[in-house]
Amino acid sequence: MNGWTTAATLTFAGGVGATVWGVATGPLRRRVVAQNLSSALACPGLLLLAQGYGRPAYVDLALVLALLGPVGTLVFARLLAEELAADPPASPWATWCAAGFAAVVVLVLCAATGPGRAMVKLLVTGALLTGGNLVASRALAGGFPGGRRG
Amino acid sequence: MDDPAVVVALLLVAAAATTAVAVRDPVRQALVLAVLGLALAVLFTVLQAPDVALSQLAVGSALTPLLLLLSVRKVRRRQKQETKGEPE
Repeated sequence: MNGWTTAATLTFAGGVGATVWGVATGPLRRRVVAQNLSSALACPGLLLLAQGYGRPAYVDLALVLALLGPVGTLVFARLLAEELAADPPASPWATWCAAGFAAVVVLVLCAATGPGRAMVKLLVTGALLTGGNLVASRALAGGFPGGRRG
Repeated sequence: MDDPAVVVALLLVAAAATTAVAVRDPVRQALVLAVLGLALAVLFTVLQAPDVALSQLAVGSALTPLLLLLSVRKVRRRQKQETKGEPE
């Protein structure tokens, strides 16, 4: 147990725990947003775990999650378009908070690893994660009218 | 079990799995299942099994919800067609 794994544990307990609560209760729009936030918060946690265990190979997990998490949210945005069109989910505050948290974690880890291939991989993961989540939350809010054929 | 990360991951999995059973609507169940897949991936990572976590992420975060939602949509479409055909 070191500082990195403690931070990861706190991220999982606070962030992912809150999204489990959010996905379990409330209207459909809140559940969809919570599902999107769960991948946005678990990915920095996995990055912190990789640093805490001292195994750079574990960064692959965060990379795969950064790729597939937004894809999963886009699946919901596409197939639930009819239900979501009635009351569109808008969560700019939570989305930007999660994106900012991911950016801070990636920058801190970059400072800890130092320049090299590992740092490039971290930056790619962070860019994929924040970009993918912003696109996914915009799609949930109905930002792409062309994709709304139900 | 003395590692707090393992305890937190186990609690997350227990909470998400209980919710997945308790929720009745299949669409909402798909959302909970996506989060459950994520929690399971975290648990596998904490237990030092990143290969299992990788496959869990690939299946749990995108494929399971896609399959569930596609089948829900197909069933609903068939129901609509049947109710349309009935009034005569």
